[in-house]
This record gives sequence, structure tokens and C-alpha cells, in this order.
Amino acid sequence: MKINKRIITACLCLALSIVVCCVTGVNFLAARELPMPVKGPGVTEVKMLSDWFDGLKDTNADTPVYILEGSEPGGKMLILGGTHGNEPSGYMSAFTFIENAVVEKGTVYVIPYTNRSGMTHNDPGEGNMQYFTLQTQSGPRTFRFGSRATNPIDQWPDPDVYVHYASGQRLSGSETRNINRAYPGRADGTFTEKAAYGVAELIRTEDVGLTFDLHEASPEYPVINATVAHQDAMEIASEGCINLLLEGIEMSLEQSPTNFHGLTHRELGDYTDTMAILMETANAAQGRLRGKTSQKQVMGGQDKCYEKGEDLGMLYVPWEVNGITGHPIEERCGRHLQGIYEYSLAYSNANPDKQIVYSGVPGYADLFLNADPQYLGGSWLGSYLK
Amino acid sequence: MTTELLTFLAMIGVFLLGCFLCKLPVSISMVLSAITGSLVGGKGFALRHLVEGMFAYVDTILVIVTAMIFMKVIQESGTLDAISSVIIERFHKMPALMLCMIMVIIMFPGMITGSSTASVLSAGSIMAPVLMLMGVPILETACILAMGGILGMIAPPTNIPAMIIGAGIDIPYSGFGLPLTLMTFPLAFLFVLMFAYKYVKNMDYEEVRAKLRTQSREKYGFRIYIPLILAIFLMVVNKLVPSIPDIGMPLVFLICAAVGCFTGNKFNVPKMAKESVGAVLPVMGILMGVGMFIQIMTLTGVRGFIVNACLSMPSFARYIAMAVSMPLFGAVSSFGSASVLGVPFLLSFLAKKEIIVAGALSLIASLGDMMPPTALAGIFAAQVVGMPKYTPVLKKCLLPCFIIIVWGILFIVFANQLSFLII
Repeated sequence: MKINKRIITACLCLALSIVVCCVTGVNFLAARELPMPVKGPGVTEVKMLSDWFDGLKDTNADTPVYILEGSEPGGKMLILGGTHGNEPSGYMSAFTFIENAVVEKGTVYVIPYTNRSGMTHNDPGEGNMQYFTLQTQSGPRTFRFGSRATNPIDQWPDPDVYVHYASGQRLSGSETRNINRAYPGRADGTFTEKAAYGVAELIRTEDVGLTFDLHEASPEYPVINATVAHQDAMEIASEGCINLLLEGIEMSLEQSPTNFHGLTHRELGDYTDTMAILMETANAAQGRLRGKTSQKQVMGGQDKCYEKGEDLGMLYVPWEVNGITGHPIEERCGRHLQGIYEYSLAYSNANPDKQIVYSGVPGYADLFLNADPQYLGGSWLGSYLK
Repeated sequence: MTTELLTFLAMIGVFLLGCFLCKLPVSISMVLSAITGSLVGGKGFALRHLVEGMFAYVDTILVIVTAMIFMKVIQESGTLDAISSVIIERFHKMPALMLCMIMVIIMFPGMITGSSTASVLSAGSIMAPVLMLMGVPILETACILAMGGILGMIAPPTNIPAMIIGAGIDIPYSGFGLPLTLMTFPLAFLFVLMFAYKYVKNMDYEEVRAKLRTQSREKYGFRIYIPLILAIFLMVVNKLVPSIPDIGMPLVFLICAAVGCFTGNKFNVPKMAKESVGAVLPVMGILMGVGMFIQIMTLTGVRGFIVNACLSMPSFARYIAMAVSMPLFGAVSSFGSASVLGVPFLLSFLAKKEIIVAGALSLIASLGDMMPPTALAGIFAAQVVGMPKYTPVLKKCLLPCFIIIVWGILFIVFANQLSFLII
């Protein structure tokens, strides 16, 4: 009798486990289907990153590259969105660019999901949302909220210590799946290093002169509302930064530290001929001080815990901009898109034979300053998406 | 009362109710507590979050179960007896030096892997019989193992909590070597002498020698040590030559356990494996429950509420908040504490030398491995020496834990003056 009871309990537990596995398994599998940008008027071709490095073919690291070629020849520019899947203004800016830009001179390459694998899961322990929905021109569209790191399904286990192969720098083991610690990448390296190598190969093969990597950071992180540029890009970054400041956009400028390795602004500048620039905006959904997970937090950039954080003097960004509390996605994407505009303008001024000229992309004023505050937090950005 | 506070109280309440009133296992109580938090926090029955939270500890669970299998193998095959007898025979004339050496050996796997569990279950299980043969009581032996594991995890070259805290503000893991050495080794020697010297100083060697089991050593010779040598080699090789891929601790332990099956006494392998998994099953369950618990805390804003509350303290009280909250939060894992509280505390002390502060914060965070319900270092230390409960180990370690906190705070207070240590 006692044995029977134990067997029944065991069977019930097993059945329950199978149900939980099936339900959540379906959910986790569905996360691998990623929403893609709608081809805008300027998109001339869509290729895959494996077209530049075939080591990525048929893997979860192979990611679409949208090419916007102008009617006149000029310089080449690359925009990296989705380096970190939990930093939505990065890939939402890339979506907005792809769906709106018309390139007149030069060629622009846009990768909306630089670490595609990172978009297919969420960080355990972080309690992040999986999806958020915006009302767009074509109706509601659902977007993914991903992870900072490559999906462990694609690269596992992590070592105890991650040693950046090119410099010997040591970081905690989990950073081995962070593509922004893996540059310049290796053709025979880890999954993440291969993805980074694919990006570097694109830059080398196409002779890309200017590269942007779009990021977000927690409001308590010291490098925020900031641009970090490789030393070779400091001249154009300085000019662009002054113009941003003149337009009323608070932006600090830092030169890429020479002793911190694996990041785009250091390694792409060192190992390719591109001018590498990284931008950071404030994401309320990312830090340790953050409150309850919600769309209002992720898209609206509002969080009462950060209001308290500001009172404590813990934040490196003002928590109210232009009378708006928090940092809505429109402000964050506006900063990125205006930054791309100003830095590319400075690049064109410095390189008259390699000009990059485009139009149609909303800037900081369109997305944030001129927006009706009641539509901030996703709806206004959605009105610029197809 | 805020929703976050209400949610937190409900989670704690259900956990205590489950553990003490309903006498449920700690793991089940944590699951119920997480479900309650999700409901009270307005997130409904967040099944996806509960499952996702568990995955935070998959790697830790694999290390634990494989380390336990390895430990059982070297025990059953006679390797433990062999190594114990060699150490006592060679070093019994210098008890203080021998104790310090034993402590360094206990710390070694933690220094290499950054895991206190690896230290306690591998080197700890080898040194425990040595200490007990020399007359150190079982409780004191467990305490030495636990503190050795914790300090080994923080000692250079590999300190994962410091790496996690540093990564939070983009400090590369360099320049930590000397500060971490000074933070850990003096304490390690102090603790081992504090716990064991009075028992060892007047050791009757002849009496001890009679108890030494040397048969496996005499019968199998050098090959009895092969699993241990292989374990050390596999742990160290890719640290010395980074181009060699890291195969991970679980595989290291499994390979060495497999080798150990052929280098000494014969034993029933399936029975041993079953016993090993059975021994660590409750801990694995707790870790999964903890994963759910922390995921729901973050989802509902309780984590942010706690971090804000700690940082709200006035300047001097911030040290106290740090001393209390980091080990307490470490109950969910010392790495979690380093990430969730270590980074904000480091930011709040940014005017001071950040490498010293990050190192000291990692030292304080390491005490999370002594905090129930996970208390990995305490639980495994008790298990290795054969104690039925681990609470006496935790009680006996209160003073060393307090010393660690004071030592860590001193490093933070004098961080700027100690900046010459950063090389």
C-alpha cells in the first residue's frame, strides 16, 4: 500500500513536470521566431551575414543585413542594432531607420539583430517581459525583448573565466556569450566570436567607413547619454557631439579606453578601417534599482524605483527631460537616430568623396520634442513604423 | 504599505509557513513562496517565469552533482586514505605550518574555479580525514572546510563575484591579485589556527599513525593518486594556456570520477552514483526554488525595493546595510548578491578606489554561501564530515563571518590609502 502511494505520487509529479515542460517548451520555442522589419522605401537588398562569413550559415547567429544603396555613390555606413537584446532602443532605432530611410548618396547597412541568438531567449533571474506590442501604421505589431547574451542553446557551458583571445583580458565566464566583448571575433572561435567575426568581415569586405553600435544602459551606470568613440573617430565624434549639444541633446563624449577589450568601439576601430562609435541611452528596465516589470517601464521608461534612485543621487541621467518623467522609447530612439544623423554628417564633411546622405528618418525633435506627451511610451514611435 | 513590501512580506510569510508549520521541504516552500509573490504582485500564475528562474542555477547544480560523484569515487577507491596518510606522515612535526598548508589546499580548487562548492567537495573532502585523524573535532573540521571554501572562492586568481561586480561598471579583472591575497590569506591562516591549533599542537603521532589507513597506497602505489592529479591538471591547464578550451567543472569532475573507478579499490558504481545524487538532491531542489524566488522578486519589483532600501541608508549606516544585506541576499547565491547588491554598493562608493572596493564587496558577498537556506559551503562541509545537520557549523562560523565583514569594511574605508596594492 505504501509503495503504491509513493508510485502514484511519483507518477503525478512526473505528469505535472511533463505538462510544465510542454507548455513552457512551446513558449520558449516560439521565442526563436523573430519579428522582422518591413522593407522601407530605401531598402535595395536584404542579405544575410553569412554572405560575408559562411561559417555562420544555417546557424542561429546568421542574421539579416538590410542594404540601403543610394542613387549616387558615396561612403558606407553600418548600423548595429540588437547587440544586446534587452536594450530595445538599439533594435527599434534600426527598425525605424530601415522602414523610413531613403539614401541619396552612399550605402547604409543595417543589422537589426546583431546577436540574433540573444534575441531568442531571456536572462534567467531578470524577470523580463518576452514581448511588447506597439500600434503601428499597419495595426498592432509585436516585438521581442531579448537577452544581453547568446542563447545557451547555441553556446554552452560558460567557462569559469572568459579570456578575450586577442588581448588576454579576463572577465566573468558569462561574458563569453556577450558579443560586445567578443570583437574582433574569430573564424574558428565560439559561436559568439564567430558572429562578431561576421560583422568585422562585412566591414572589411565592404570597406565600411563608419560604424554605429546602439546600446542602452541602466540609469545608474556611469557611461550613459553618452557616445564612446575609437580614437580614429574622435574628430567626427567631437563635431557631431557639439551639434547634438547645440540642438539641446545632452551628450557626453568619451574616447574608447585602450585597456578595455572586446567592444565594438575598441576592436572594430583597431582591427578594421572603420570609424567605430557606440551610443548609450537610459533604459529603466535594465538596472539593479528597477521596479516591477511592465510595458510602461520598458517602453515608457518610467519606474518609481528610479525616481527614488534619483533622490538618492544614484543616477547618472536626469529623471525628467523636457517636463517628461522617465525616458520613453521615443526619447531613446530619438537620441540614437539624431546621433547617427549628426555623426554621419560630420563624417561626410570630413570625407567629401565618401559622403553619406539620407532622408526620411525621424530625429529627436520628431520623435520626442514635438510629440504629444500622451502618446509617448511606444504609440508615437509606432506611428513611424509600417 | 507599498505593493512591493506587501509582496515581499507575503513571500517570506509563505516560506516560513511552509518550512516550519507545514514541515515542507525548503525547496517546495520556496516554490510556493514564489507562486504567492507572483499572485500578490499582480503577475498571476507566472509559469514561464517560474521555469525560467530555475535555469539560473543549471550550471551550479551540475557542478554540485558531479563534484559529489567525484568525492564519493575518491573515497570509495581509497585515494582519500592514501593522501591523508602521506600528509600526516610527512608534516606532523610542524603542526602550525601543516594546518596553514592544509588550508591552502582546501582553498585551491576555489582559487582556480571560483566556486566554494568545488573547494569543499574536492579538496575539502580530502583534507577532512587528515584533520580528524589529527584530533580536530568533527565540527571544527567542518568549519575549516566551510571557511576555506569561502576564502578560496575569493582568493586570486579567480574571483567570480569580483568579476561580476567589476563588469557592472566595466572594470576589467586586472589589478585584483594583491588586494585579494591580503583580503583572504591572513584570514584563512587565522581561522584554521583558531579552529584547530589547540587540538593539533600536542598530537600524539604514534596514536594517530596506528589509525592511518595505508593499504590502498601500498597496494596501488602511484596510480591511486591519478584522479586527483588529473583533476588539478584539468582545472589549471586552460588557466595557464588560455587557448585550450575550458571543458567546465562538471566534465572535469566526471572525467576524474570515471578514471577513479579504475585506479584503486573496486566498488559498485551505479550504487555510488545513486547515493551521490541522493545526497545532493535536497540542495539541487533548494537552488531551483531559489531561482524561482529571485525571478519573481525581480518581476514584481521586490528586488528593486530591497536595493533602494539598502541604498537609502545614511552614509555610515550604508556600511551596516552592506554588511547585513549582502550576506543575507547571498542566501539566494553569493554570485546573485554580488550582481544585485554589489554593483549598486560599488557605485555608491565610487569616490574610493574601485578595485579595492569591488574586491572587499566580493569578500562580503561570499558569506552568502553560509546563509540558509542555500548555505552551500556550510551544507557541504557538514555533509563531507558526516554531520546530520549543518546548523552547528553555521553557529560556530559566526565569529569568523563577523571578522570577514569587519575586514572587508576596513578595506573599503581605507580603499584610497590601500591603492598602492593595485599593480
